[in-house]
Amino acid sequence: MSDIANATSTRQPASPDLSPVARPANAEPWKRKDRAQVVGVSLSAILPALFTWFFGSTLALDATVAVVAIFLPLQLVASAAMGIRIFGRRGIAESLLITATVLLSLMVSVLLLSVLWSVISAGAQTISWTFLGQNNVYISPTTSLEYGGVGHSIIGTLLIVGLTTLVTVPFGIAIAVYLTETRGKARGAIRVLIQAMSGLPSVVAGLFVYSALIATGITQYAGWAGSLALLPLMLPTVARIAEEALRLVPAEYRNGALALGAPAYRAFLQVTLPAAKTGIITAVLLGIARIIGETAPLLLTTFAANNTSFNLFSGSMSSLPTYLYQYISNGNDTSTQRAWGAALVVLILVGILFTTARVFGRAKKTTSKSLTKAKSPRKAN
Amino acid sequence: MAITTASALHSENVNVWFGERHVLKDVSLTFPSNQVTALIGPSGCGKSTFLRTLNRMHELIPGAGFGGRVLLDGDDIYGDGVDPVNVRIKIGMVFQKPNPFPTMTIRDNVLSGLKLSGRKTNDADELVETSLRRASIWNEVRDRLNDPALSLSGGQQQRLCIARSLAMDPQVLLMDEPCSALDPGSTRRIEETIVELSESMTIVIVTHNMQQAQRVADQTAFFLATDGNPGHVVEFGATEDIFERPRDSRTNDYVNGHFG
Repeated sequence: MSDIANATSTRQPASPDLSPVARPANAEPWKRKDRAQVVGVSLSAILPALFTWFFGSTLALDATVAVVAIFLPLQLVASAAMGIRIFGRRGIAESLLITATVLLSLMVSVLLLSVLWSVISAGAQTISWTFLGQNNVYISPTTSLEYGGVGHSIIGTLLIVGLTTLVTVPFGIAIAVYLTETRGKARGAIRVLIQAMSGLPSVVAGLFVYSALIATGITQYAGWAGSLALLPLMLPTVARIAEEALRLVPAEYRNGALALGAPAYRAFLQVTLPAAKTGIITAVLLGIARIIGETAPLLLTTFAANNTSFNLFSGSMSSLPTYLYQYISNGNDTSTQRAWGAALVVLILVGILFTTARVFGRAKKTTSKSLTKAKSPRKAN
Repeated sequence: MAITTASALHSENVNVWFGERHVLKDVSLTFPSNQVTALIGPSGCGKSTFLRTLNRMHELIPGAGFGGRVLLDGDDIYGDGVDPVNVRIKIGMVFQKPNPFPTMTIRDNVLSGLKLSGRKTNDADELVETSLRRASIWNEVRDRLNDPALSLSGGQQQRLCIARSLAMDPQVLLMDEPCSALDPGSTRRIEETIVELSESMTIVIVTHNMQQAQRVADQTAFFLATDGNPGHVVEFGATEDIFERPRDSRTNDYVNGHFG
């Protein structure tokens, strides 16, 4: 070995400069763009819309007519022309596909944003610390918005959903473990059942609990009955996402643990489960988001209430969806305002849950990314 | 850590089925203590399958079937009432693809076997160092024991997996093509490790690399499966004899690179 090393070193004439050089600004040649091309693409994106706006307003055209008669044909021609200029003949199909994709996703985004906007703009006027903190006792449909609020409903929702989560998560994870870690004979049947369960209309779940427990006199309206009605709605979501998360853990890790003499349960608890942790947390959060806005099952099982109640086990309980329902059906202005406020609160809660789920999901990706980076530091992109 | 004496391993008429398909027929081999045995043969001849029967990892594959006996110091590991968990503690395994546990640090990976089998050690630091030294990776990782195991290179990960097995102080170590995913430098270091380890344990290694078998193995078994028939051992003996004076013409063709 050392002979070879010596031989190569003597053969080298003068030592060339091998010190690292700072990365130049233009180290990404694949991102270089022709200026004329950029201008052309921008024009083809803006001009049709400008023309439509101009002719639409000067000729006082109906919006639909303007889009169909002016915008779409113009955009078609402009995109195709730019496509040909950049890619030649294959550019026609390419540019039209891109345009169609952008337009359709714009439409969906507009739909979604308008829903969000209507709730936010209408609900924002209602929301105040009073509204978030107070309950509904002594409030009549015409009481002004300075008094009363959804405090008791927030507490009710958190308690009912919390109880459901507490009961459902162990079941959901147990099902996921059965489906992925064992060779049980009932796996196929359970998978079908879970799929069928996720299609269960929520009102049916509520009706079932109502007829089985409340109509028969076993219990009055109560929070725990509501939790029970939410359980079959949350279970499939948790079970299916947790199953996916467990399935993604490579078999090598499990085999490695077993080959070290681990009993199956320890291999699962100490190797497979930690590796799937972020996925399982996501499963739980999405499961909660699935049920937090459910109205029908709660109307049938917990009903609505005006007072604050911490007791899940007797007496009707308010929750955000039932509060909303209660006030939207009243029909006068302050009631409608209260309903919008409750809708916004539900939306915020769901938003918090989804964001948390996304952050957990991304935390996983960044660690694996940083690990690949650590392995090959020279790879710039 | 006291180094226990190595154990001898025998297989008697081992047969393997996957579903109805007979994949391995009547394999009877002897692995004397402190010897390195190489299993060679073309892909699909059943040598990895055979290796997995030696510590009962085989039965984890759905549809697997087994017949015959595997004796560890005279006791059948497939005997009535034998817990596969205890078998795998005594007979360790290193896989083809490095598989350090991704959620654990380097140190935790070495100690994972103890934790996973529910055992305790008096001196964890001592055990970590000894195991990593025996796998000849200590000098590379001594300053970063608390880094995630996946921050190591592929060759280092594989040696970490060997250290992880060694921490359990196994009597037999099974290695399933441990170097096939590694560069020549890492391969050489693992081969040196294997030779050192054979002083304290019995080693069985599956390899596709003829030179590797010649470098590390005391004895070699040549497996072959033909035309849908189950795999079997064509020839078994001292490594020198297998490579230089093969009795069977098929062994001669294989070790000289004429097929497979």
